[in-house]
Amino acid sequence: MSAPLLDVKGLSVRIAGTSRDLVADVSFTLHPGETLCVVGESGCGKSLTALSLMGLLASPPLSVTGGEALFDGRDLLQMPLDQLQALRGDRMAMIFQEPMTSLNPALRVGDQIAESVQRHQGVSAKAARARALEMLRRVGIPAPESRLDAYPHNLSGGMRQRVMIAMALANDPALLLADEPTTALDVTIQAQILALMRDLQAQSGSAMILITHDLGVVAEMADKVAVMYAGRIVEFGTVAQIFEDPQHPYTIGLMSSMPTLGQRVARLVTIPGVVPQASQMPPGCRFASRCPFANASCAKTPDMTEVATGHRVACWQVPLEAGIDQRVSA
Amino acid sequence: MLSFIGRRLLVAIPTIVLISVLVFFLQKLLPGDPVLALAGEDRNPEILEFLREKYRLNDPLYVQYFNWIGNALTGDLGVSLRTQQPVLTLLAEKLPVTFQLAIMALVIAVVIGVPAGIISAYHKGTWIDWLANVVALSGLSVPNFWLGIMMILLVSVKLGWLPASGYQPFTDDPLQSIRTMLMPAFVLGTGLAATLMRHTRSAMLGVLQSDYVRTARAKGLSEKRVVMKHALRNALVPVVTVITLLFGELLAGAVLTEQIFTIPGFGKLVVDAVFNRDYAVVQGIVLCTAIAFVLMNILSDALYRVLNPRMSDQ
Ligand SMILES: Nc1ncnc2c1ncn2[C@@H]1O[C@H](COP(=O)(O)OP(=O)(O)OP(=O)(O)O)[C@@H](O)[C@H]1O
Ligand SMILES: [Mg+2]
Repeated sequence: MSAPLLDVKGLSVRIAGTSRDLVADVSFTLHPGETLCVVGESGCGKSLTALSLMGLLASPPLSVTGGEALFDGRDLLQMPLDQLQALRGDRMAMIFQEPMTSLNPALRVGDQIAESVQRHQGVSAKAARARALEMLRRVGIPAPESRLDAYPHNLSGGMRQRVMIAMALANDPALLLADEPTTALDVTIQAQILALMRDLQAQSGSAMILITHDLGVVAEMADKVAVMYAGRIVEFGTVAQIFEDPQHPYTIGLMSSMPTLGQRVARLVTIPGVVPQASQMPPGCRFASRCPFANASCAKTPDMTEVATGHRVACWQVPLEAGIDQRVSA
Repeated sequence: MLSFIGRRLLVAIPTIVLISVLVFFLQKLLPGDPVLALAGEDRNPEILEFLREKYRLNDPLYVQYFNWIGNALTGDLGVSLRTQQPVLTLLAEKLPVTFQLAIMALVIAVVIGVPAGIISAYHKGTWIDWLANVVALSGLSVPNFWLGIMMILLVSVKLGWLPASGYQPFTDDPLQSIRTMLMPAFVLGTGLAATLMRHTRSAMLGVLQSDYVRTARAKGLSEKRVVMKHALRNALVPVVTVITLLFGELLAGAVLTEQIFTIPGFGKLVVDAVFNRDYAVVQGIVLCTAIAFVLMNILSDALYRVLNPRMSDQ
């Protein structure tokens, strides 16, 4: 297999003055053209993971406390600011969770896209504007010529997110970080935006980290899946491995809470309990307090074990079948 | 935009009428008789009566008011009871002086206050922020008259760099005019700079946390561009409002500083007029200031709409 585009090892993020990691020891690799979906409940550290790769953590109070993230072989986490700035918006770009507030209200959307093109391609203002127009057209904004000079407040949420996508893809990034790009939008628009992102990705061949808590989106978009719980990756595998053979009790819980088609109205089967607060995170497995399989061994942080090629799980009880057999026979 | 300004001007008319009524009647409620002030030692009842007739002070109040306002509309604000000069001439003489002082003070305030606010917001919580706040707080707490006197003593008397007083009209000798006004403008400006700095800082703090500033960084823009283009554009919106309102205040509020530096502006005119019960002049000044205030308000709203595209197409 080719060299990874992005190789993250042991990434940890912390609030200054505290000792608990909001993102703890996160590791994964991503190859060119691949889509990795990161799933997990609200607050589990998905956005912080993406923001630390971009060097955009709100610091203070947040800061990366450990790990490395090799992008094209260079560590994003140690990179001097000017080198990072040269990569941002060019080789890697991000789409944010909040389409309503992520565009500058005082600047025309065409200028906001063109600015990024000019910054990284060093082209004339006119060429940058032409590129902005082309991007608006590509993301399916109707009457793009007239939208170039629109302000964000003239556009709906869906249109703004399209503008964000146009901006992110304007310089053909090798890596696109998309943080719940459709969560804030209504369902029909969601489907359109996802289809659009898939098309554009297919055209440009860029890799994507797609953050979501919608398993339907995962099934549709992902090559690989990282399941996060309370700041850790608890399971990692291909989309087939995660959907057909989930190993971690949390992943299994997530899968059973996923509404099957035609059953949308049914109430979600949720996992009982809540994610522990960062301040009162238990030592050892962070899922133990909600886990039906937890026992004394869970007081220690579980190692990632490989259960199949590329399929890794952080749980002492895996494989669960063996554990259940033992308990039944005991 | 033009129709916006037109509408605002129409709405301003009742405001100005109301102000004129207040000015006129409050003045009449004040104790003291202008005629006595005018006649000086001479308390001859016939002369007093003659003066009352002459200035139509025997008419019913509402008649006096309508006379005054009617004349005002034609540009006649009456004559000074004391110097017999037309009030309008007095105002036209003094207004440019105070105007120049206010503009210079404002420029100084903006040049110091806005960058200081930006820098301290950007370096929030560091010693730079701390230092800027301490300086600003001292700027706010030091009374203008004290600072003015200290500056005269240091800069004029001891160092001899700038004249302590002596007004030079701008049209006669611009350079000398600016030199003579520099100290008073600085005294007025530093106090405002502190106010502006704090407004800029708090506006900037909010904006620097915003999602669109994060987007600007995600595009790979330099910190300078992120701050000066993406953040400042938005932070300036409320700050510009403050600046225009400060200007209105400056026109009215330079009284004390003008006294200290013996600048023959509005301030001196007001003080002289009040002490001499020179009704016509006081009324003219207050009316003029009120109108300036109203105009500044309109200007400030207009600028707000220019800077804030969300407002401008409504
Ligand atoms: N600026 C911050 N200061 C302090 N804590 C923060 C900050 N940003 C995030 N956190 C905390 O870090 C944790 C992870 O946040 P993150 O935004 O990564 O969650 P997420 O997985 O993206 O959730 P969501 O699905 O709601 O977007 C949360 O518990 C959150 O409260
Ligand atoms: Mg998030």
